[in-house]
Order: sequence, then structure tokens, then C-alpha cells
Amino acid sequence: MPPFQLHSPGSIEEAFEIASSLGEAGREFDWVAGGTDLLPNYKWHLNSKSDVISLALVSELNILTETHIGAMVRLHDLAESEKTHAIVRKAAESVASTLIRRSATVGGNLCLDTRCFWFNQTEDWRESIDWCHKCDCGTEADCRVIPNQNTLCVATYQADLAPSLMCLGATIHLASKKGRRSMPMDDFFQLDGMTRNVLEEGEIVTHVTLPDDVSDWNGDYQKLRQRESWDFPEAGVAVAWKKGKDGVSGLRVATTGLESVPGFHKEESESALEDWRGEESVDELAESVRKSVKPVLNTWFPPSYRRKMVRVLTRRACAGMLEDSP
Amino acid sequence: MILIRDSRGDILGEEDSDEMVGYRQQPGKLPFSKPGSGGKSRFSEPRDESMIPESQGGEKSQPWGDHRHDEVVSGRVIGKPTALVDSRWKVTGQAQYGDDIRLPGEIIGRIVRSPHHYARVLSIDASKALELPGVLAVATGQDATRAFGVLPVTKDEHAMAQDKVRHVGDLVACVAAVDEASAREACRLIEVEYEVLDSIHDMRDGLEDSELPIHDRGKYHIGESNIQKRVFQEFGDVEGMKGSAASHSSDWLFAGANHGFTEPHATVAHWDPSGRLTVYTPQQVPHYLHRALADVLEIPMHQINVFRTFVGGGFGGKSDPFPHEMCAAILARKTGRPVRINFDREEVFWVNRGRHPSRIGMSIHSDNEGRISGIETDALIDGGAFASFGHVTTYYNGVLHTAPYEIGGFHYTGARVWTNKPASGAMRGHGAVNSRCAVEVGLDDICEQLNVDPIDFRLANLLPPHSSTITGFRVTSIGMRECLERVREASGWDEKFRNMPLGRGIGVGCGFFISGSGLPIHWDPNKFPHATVHLKIDMDGGVTVHTGAADIGQGSDTVVAQSVAEVLGLPLDMIRVRSRETDTSPVDLGSYSSRVTFMNANAAISAAMEIRGDLIKATSEITGSPEEKLVIGDRRIFRKDDPGVGVSYLEALHKSQEDRGALVSSGSYRTPPMGRAHKGAAAGLAPAYSFSAYVAEVEVDVETGQTRVLKVWAAHDCGKALNPLSVKGQIIGSCHMGMGQVLSEEMRYGRTGHLLNPDFLDYKIPTVHEMPDVYPIIVESNDPEGPFGAKEAGEGPLLPILPAVVNAVYDATGVRVSELPISPDRLHKEIERKCKNAGVSDPLEMEPPRIEHSELQEVLLERGRQHSERDVMRRSVGEPAPYHNGALFGLDPEIPGDEQDSRWTAVVIPPESYLENPGLAGSAWKHVERRKRGVSE
Repeated sequence: MPPFQLHSPGSIEEAFEIASSLGEAGREFDWVAGGTDLLPNYKWHLNSKSDVISLALVSELNILTETHIGAMVRLHDLAESEKTHAIVRKAAESVASTLIRRSATVGGNLCLDTRCFWFNQTEDWRESIDWCHKCDCGTEADCRVIPNQNTLCVATYQADLAPSLMCLGATIHLASKKGRRSMPMDDFFQLDGMTRNVLEEGEIVTHVTLPDDVSDWNGDYQKLRQRESWDFPEAGVAVAWKKGKDGVSGLRVATTGLESVPGFHKEESESALEDWRGEESVDELAESVRKSVKPVLNTWFPPSYRRKMVRVLTRRACAGMLEDSP
Repeated sequence: MILIRDSRGDILGEEDSDEMVGYRQQPGKLPFSKPGSGGKSRFSEPRDESMIPESQGGEKSQPWGDHRHDEVVSGRVIGKPTALVDSRWKVTGQAQYGDDIRLPGEIIGRIVRSPHHYARVLSIDASKALELPGVLAVATGQDATRAFGVLPVTKDEHAMAQDKVRHVGDLVACVAAVDEASAREACRLIEVEYEVLDSIHDMRDGLEDSELPIHDRGKYHIGESNIQKRVFQEFGDVEGMKGSAASHSSDWLFAGANHGFTEPHATVAHWDPSGRLTVYTPQQVPHYLHRALADVLEIPMHQINVFRTFVGGGFGGKSDPFPHEMCAAILARKTGRPVRINFDREEVFWVNRGRHPSRIGMSIHSDNEGRISGIETDALIDGGAFASFGHVTTYYNGVLHTAPYEIGGFHYTGARVWTNKPASGAMRGHGAVNSRCAVEVGLDDICEQLNVDPIDFRLANLLPPHSSTITGFRVTSIGMRECLERVREASGWDEKFRNMPLGRGIGVGCGFFISGSGLPIHWDPNKFPHATVHLKIDMDGGVTVHTGAADIGQGSDTVVAQSVAEVLGLPLDMIRVRSRETDTSPVDLGSYSSRVTFMNANAAISAAMEIRGDLIKATSEITGSPEEKLVIGDRRIFRKDDPGVGVSYLEALHKSQEDRGALVSSGSYRTPPMGRAHKGAAAGLAPAYSFSAYVAEVEVDVETGQTRVLKVWAAHDCGKALNPLSVKGQIIGSCHMGMGQVLSEEMRYGRTGHLLNPDFLDYKIPTVHEMPDVYPIIVESNDPEGPFGAKEAGEGPLLPILPAVVNAVYDATGVRVSELPISPDRLHKEIERKCKNAGVSDPLEMEPPRIEHSELQEVLLERGRQHSERDVMRRSVGEPAPYHNGALFGLDPEIPGDEQDSRWTAVVIPPESYLENPGLAGSAWKHVERRKRGVSE
């Protein structure tokens, strides 16, 4: 692992102070929460920095209630807590392995670096392909997935929590020395495998809030992967629905593991809801979600298969909705 | 029950004799009463008559007959579940693996590896690296120019590149520095100039002529191609197999697999002040490394000590001498300091030696009596950049599926080609796994066509005990029939087969594997034994065992200790095994080809029998009893007919030490003469063979293509379970490993030829969640030549799981795959195809296969019954009449087929007519060797 200076602030203000003084000194840094994503990448010399600021001692990031999930809440605690919404719980407990969930955090999962066969490799290995756009070591190398271009990175976002939170109408809260801001979860992500999200230098995710009516929503999260442990989602579909007197009154669908950002399928779910015909609508919804995602060949399963599975996963995630539907 | 007593003899408690022995002691608390009393309990236990064979008047029944080792059975440890003798080192973290060795003044070596698939090395400039503070030495190919390789016929490796690099990750240079960071930085600073060459990645391209073949075999080069080895074999009535009642044909594609052992390679080399070299390394085959080091470093073997550390898993992946071991020695010689080289995981994948990616064309024919009239195999295997064990693998892909069935004809063409990939080599089930899968799946299809039960079909086609296969292998004990019968019963086969709902299925597969390669690679078996074991017993009564067998976690130290303890009637804690260093161990071929238990335990038994003779003679002298009346029990030698007359072990020992001090003995093992005379006849010869039959039950999600193995009933004929705990462990471990290959493990190469998944996140070894319930069933066929009747259990149990799962997937879905692993995307594609062909839009509406038995079923049942009687007869008489493959087809069983019928003549050179339309691998024979074209180089 390349050597780096570790900073461990005790409060959020102190963290921002360190960040800004590093910025002023022209030193690059990364935030680290649980380290389960960052440190393996560092070990492979993937965009490692000279300084790392740990948020482990910042206690205000640890709060967990029904509608407030702190960025430093461990995935294990999230999965075990009765305060956690069932869909989020299901997504959280499907992440990696027990050992990793004990360390990994909500914020870290949301900000998970995108992944790609041509990127998540050792330095020697990447040298053998003449590097790639996402970690080009100053060579201006092309993307290895979509060749002959080095403007877009299509590495895949393979974190589990985002789609469930999106479906529940979550708001994400960010903070930096400049102040705090919040936005719907969907707006947090940016379609680029390198920038990934709207976080600016020195800015962190502090927490996620869920709307007060979250307990009215039910749903499911379905995940495609080779093995039941360790593996990142090759496709993940979260569905949330709300039922009124006349049946389904709200429906949201979000996906992960298919593109460089999680997808929030607002149009598809709204149009399904407009003309609701039960199982038939679910089939149409599943088909339209399948059509809307565009995976590329850079993870374990081929993109055509992942795309087809989106349909199956969407139908399965909706199964609970149809069961007691009038 | 055994009473546990303290040093005064007071009873402390009871011990269930069925429990594991050997794990109870605490270090430093062993209750030896006084020096030399022998064992933790002061008093000898009565003989455990339930462990003494009937032939010796004991109570242990012997349904498979007597054994030549019966008379040395003392009933102490053999056959009892025993914790491995080194297990406490491991569970307490005190075992020193390669990376745990720390020597004073040690420095770190790192390897500069090729970033190109295939390139000429034009120049190497190490000047900047050498200027870096902390860098002590740089070595390149010029520092060691002699070739080595695990097989003497194919030495094609060097410590570092001589002129060309042959795959990404091939060694170019190495550096030694005071710490890892400096060593890594130095590697970056070494400037290498390459001329990139056209690389080959598809094994089919290896069959073609090439401008610059990856290796040059001189006058033996096959055409100008990248073919490293080719085999042509025909046995039996090859013409007669055509026009059969049922034929199966499929083209298989098997992905390459890596061993996936826990411990990456790690080695430390040290030249001691006397000028001798010690190499500490987790090796399966220290002796081959010993030879290769002497060759490459150009020093005599006696100046080298290969020290085998604890091995964190081998499975064949640590059985070649490796270039990094040479590099460490070269750097240590240059710097005068111990040099350590540790691998990262992707370096393990670059060294590889895993299962060959293979394209296997498999045809199987059955006649209208349900006899296997022929097997035609065409195996093209992808060797990667080096030969490794590939010469043997090429043969094994054919010859190791000529049993357990009696067959009418066998046609095999095999070819191994070089490609610019990490080298393939030996991996658990060496060369037998892929083609076995193809055979067993083919048989399932044949049975489907004939509408017969696949287990009954197999039971009606088995070779009997003490028979000879179509290729002339001498098969002794066969427990195949019992394996099949027991898994059938345990799994509820008759209720489940072709009778479960869509998505649930059950399948059967069998296996056959060598129990020790019959030919020592480096010498004539008549000139030097396969295995040698030395014993030394001094005044204290403890036995020191010197063996070169490499314990790689499989328990070879334990089995050798058990064998000695059994013969001498001693508790296991009185045996100490010294198997680490070539300085003190007799030469041994190492841990491969499942040879260790068979060969080393046999050698250990004969060494112990020599000492046993001394002890009995001494007892006879003390007691005046005739030697033939004396037997050995627990640390006591006494009259069989009057157990009160006898002496303690120590009394007898001290008596026999009177004139010569410590007792020493040497025992060895060599294989009996066997095999026939055709070219390649030695490949696959073994003193015994193991057999296994598995039934797997699976669940397939037909919408996603995901397969889950729910249960496996795994019967393995290991001859005799010397340590049933280990045998079960091997069976369960084999299931796990084979399941990985059939469901998810693959070395995946991208479109640019790069290995995409050299790490354990993306190389998908099944986790505990994927692991089915495995029910191990031990079948003991009591091999006449095995130690106490034992055969191998380490590799054979892997073979049947692959076809059992594939056949179960067919039972569940009606889809017969011919590409492994059956990853969900692949199976899904096949399911889609099947739905399309059947005109079904939803896979949930597919019809699973069903069976209605044909008339042939009764014929097979009747033949199975007759054969069963025949087999019981043959195994219970001492020397049954010869039985050669072919009797089922009307030939005289007592004479080899080719000696009585000209159609059965063996052919090992392809006739012209074959070359007009050869199989894929068979097309290798279109090339002519350079020497036969009149080209000398």
C-alpha cells in the first residue's frame, strides 16, 4: 500500500479545517469511513492520495432513527436495527459479507467508487493494458470498455443501498466548510464513472433522511450476483409501493449495478401507475425498466444477461405488491 | 470406553474410544510418568479386538478378504478418526508457512514482470534501480541461463526471460532491496525495451503453423506450429463402434481453473556460511525443486537443502519447481543475505499451473444390448506458455476414462498447445476431470436415448475386480459397484430420478483415478524406489520418522505416523515425523498423483516391520516364547495364546538395543511391473485405482439460470480409510472444489487476451452459502497392495461432482450443457434456446424430462445381477483368473484383446485415412516433425 498521512478529526468542524488546510497546501486527500472500498483500491495504487481524513471519530454522523440515517452508521448496524425500513434492511444485509458490513458505512456505500474489470486491478496488471481512462497515471489513456475515447468513464456503480433509499424518497445531506446542502437522492449522482456524484472537494455526506410517511411504503430489493456472499450486485432492483383504499397509490422503482450511477425509473413507474392493471402492468413495467438500462461489459456477467435479468428482478420485486392487491 | 489415568495410575475419567485420538494433549502438560515409560498412559490397554481382522482371530469382519498387512495390525490407530498430527500447530497459529520464515538480515526480492503477451526482450537497463538507496542487487536472465522444467522431457522454463517473454506476468528481472517499498520502486525504475510479437490466445490457433512459435523444440518441433504434445491412440474394435443403437456426441468447452489455495507462493533463500544453499518454500515436490536448483545454479545437489515449510494448500499448484525460487537463490547469492519473495495474488494467477482450458469432442456409442461399444475422445488442451506437466496431461485426458467401464473400442486424439497465457499444469484430478465429465454426461444422454436408468446402465458395464482395462492398466480392487449401490440408496434415487418438478433435479456421475503414478519421472522404477522411509528409535522409545513425503495439508505426516504406530503398537504421540528437509529426508517424489498414502505408508510399514521383527526377537529371547506366537498390542509384546506372558515395549526395545544402541531401519516401496508396451503405455499406470460415484441434487432457477446444489451423496472407494476423518474431509473438500469448476470458477480472458480476474473477488470460488450438504460414504475394497488395503482419496473424489451436477441440471430443466462453468448467464442462454425450440414463451412452462423404461432395462438389470455375483466371486478368491477388457464383447477374458482378434490391435500412429478428416486435436497430426522433414533445427 502506498504510504499516506492519516488525519483523525474528532468533530465535523475539525474535519473541514483539516480538509481546507490540505487544500490550501495543494495536497490531495480522500475521506475514509469504513475503508472497505478505499483501502483495497489504495493497495492496488488506484488513484491514491497523500492524505486521508478519517471520519471514524465524528460522532454526529452516527445517528440512526426511522427517518435519519447517519453517514457513519455501519451497514451491519443498519441491517440489524429495527428502526431501519425493511427494504433498506434487505439491501444492507445483502452487502458483501458480515466482516465487511461490520466496518462498511452508509456514506461509504453511497459514495462507493465505480468498478470495472479494467480498473480494479493491480498496478502491474494495469500497466499491461497501458492503463485506462479512470486511472491513467498521466498517460491520457483511453477507456478500455468503450475504446478510442477518453472523455467518458463507464465504470459501473455497484452499491446496494442507493436504489432502496431512492424508492423511499430519501433526501441526502451534504456538508462542507462552505455550509450544508440537501437534495433528493437521485440528484446526488452524476453520470460519469469518475466524478460519480456532486460532492465537491472538502464536502462529505452527513446523513440521509427519509420522509415522514416512509412507514406507509412497502417494497422489496432484488439482487443478481454469482455468489450469495462477497459479490457486488451485477444488477439490483428496488421497488417501493404505497397502497390506498383503491389499491396501489404510489410506485417507485430504482436500479443499481447497471450503469455508472444508480437509476431512478420515475417515468416508467409513473406510466405503469397511471393505467394500473395489476400483473399486466408489472410485466410492462419490468420490460420498460429493462429497456431503460444500458449496462456495458465490465463486470462478471455479460450486459445482455444483466439487462434481461432486470426484467425478472423487477417482476420479483413487485411480487409482494400483487399478493394482497385488490 | 478407555479409562484415562494420571501418572500414578489413578483413574481420571473415561474416554470414548470412537472419539478422535491425538488432539487431547496440551503442550507442556503431557503426563509422561517417567522418562521412557512410553505414552501418556502408564498401563497398556488391552487389544481392541474390534479393530483386529478376522484373519488374525479378531472381530473385524473382512467382506473383501484378507490382506497382507493383517498380521501387523495392532488395532491402535488405523481406521480410527484421527486429528492430523500437525493440526495443533495450525490452529494455534504456530505453523510456519512460507511467509512466516524470518531469517536474520533478510531482505526482500521482487520480480519485474512482462507487461506484454509475447515480446522479445531487447535490453534491460537496471542502472537507475541500482542507484536507488536500499537496492542491493538486480538479476536478469543472464544470471541463470540453464533451462529447467518439472518433466525432464520438456525443460522449457528459465529463472528469467532469456530472449522472449511469453505471457503477461512472465519473469524479466528481479531485484533485492532492504524493504518492500524500495524493491517495488526499483522494479519501476528498471527500463526494459521490448519488441512486441504477435501473440496467440485461442488454443485452436496453436494448431496452425506460426512464424515464431512460442517455443522451439529443435528437430522435434511439430511442423512450425505451437503444438507441444500430441497423442493418437486406438484400442479395441474401433470400426465396430460405428452404427450403434445409441450415440452421443458433444463438443465441450471447459474454462481454465486455478487451484485457489489460501497461501500465495512465498520463498526464502539463504546461502549459509559454509556455502550451502537452503531454500525455504511451500513445495509439494521438494525433490524436483532440489534437482532444478542444482541444474540452474550449477552447483551439486548435496550443496542444497530444500526446506519445505508448512504448505497453505497445494492441489497441484505448488508441484513445479518455480522460477521465483531460482530468483530468490540468485539474489541471495549476489547479496550474501537471505532473500524473501512473497507473491501477491495476481502473481499466483500468473504462475498458475491450473486446470487446462480444454475443448473436448466426446462421442460415446452403445449397442443394442446396452454395452458401451466405443468412446471417441478428441481433446485439445490449452497449455499456456510452458510445458509444466502438460506432456502427462495430454495422455491423461484420454487414458483415464478407459475405466471403470468395459468398453468395445477406444479412440483418442489429444493435443496440447502453447498459447501466450499463464501456464496450465497439474491440478487436483490432473487431466482426468474434464474428459471424465464429458464421458459421464455422455452416458447420461445414452441412457436417455435408450430409456434406461443411468445407474443400472453403469452397473451392467463395470469391469470386475482384478482385471485389465482396454489400454492395459492392471486394476486390482474395485469398489465401484458398491459406491453406486450406496449412493442410489442414500439419495432416494429411484423415487427422484426424472420424477421431480421443473427446476429440481438429480444426477449421477462416477470417477476413476490413479493411486500413485506408476513411473517415477526421473528414474527407472527398478533402479530406485518410489518412496523410502527411515525410522530411528533411541532409548526413550519415541520413534523418529524421516520421510520426504510433503505434507501439504492432506495429512501425509499423519498417515506415515499412523502406519508406524499401528505396526509397533504405539500411541500416536510417540511418533515424531521429520519430513521437512531434503538434508534429512530420504528422496521422495513428493505429493502429487495421489501417491503419498499408497507409497509412503507402504514404505513406512515395511520400515516399521523391520523394527517390529527386532522387538519380537528380543521378546522371544526374554520370554523364551517362539517368535511366531508373539503379537504386539499397546506398548506390550505378548503371546497370542497366553497374553499374560510378555514384556513391555521398552523392555523389548532396550533388549534389542543392547548391542547397537538406537534402532534404525529403512523401508521402501516400488511399484510391481505392469503395463503394456505401446507408446504412451506408462501414462496412467498406477499400482491401484480409486473409484467413486456421486449423486447430486440441484435446484435451478429457470428464470435466472442460477443453479444451487442442495445435496451430494458422495461414495468413494479408498480401499481402506486409514483415517476416516481425513477421507471425509477430502471428499467434502473435493466436492467444494469441483463444484467451483462446474458452477462458477473460471480464469476469464478479455478480448485483448488479458486475464480479467486474477483475484478472489472475481475468481468465483463458492462460499459457504453455495456449499451443499455433502454425505460422504466410504467404501473399503481392501486393495491387496495398498497399505492396510488403502488407496487414494485426495483427487478421485473430485471427478464425479462435475458430471453429477451437469446431469442433475438436465434432470431439472431438460437442458444439457457442454460448457463449464454453468454460470447463470450461460445456462439462461441454453434455457432460452430450449424454450424457443419448444415454442414456450415462459421458461416456467418448460417440461422437465421424464422416463419410461424400455425393454433393455430388464436386460441391464439381469446383467448387473450376474456381474455382481461375478465380482463377489473374483474378489474373494486369492488369485482369480485373468480378465481382460473385451470379455463382455465375446472375447476370451484370459487373453488380451489384441492377441486374439486383429481388429483389437492397438494403434498409436494415425493412419493416412484418419488424417483426411481428423478431429480438432487430431489435426495436430497433419504436421510433420522437423526431423522427419529433413530439417535438423
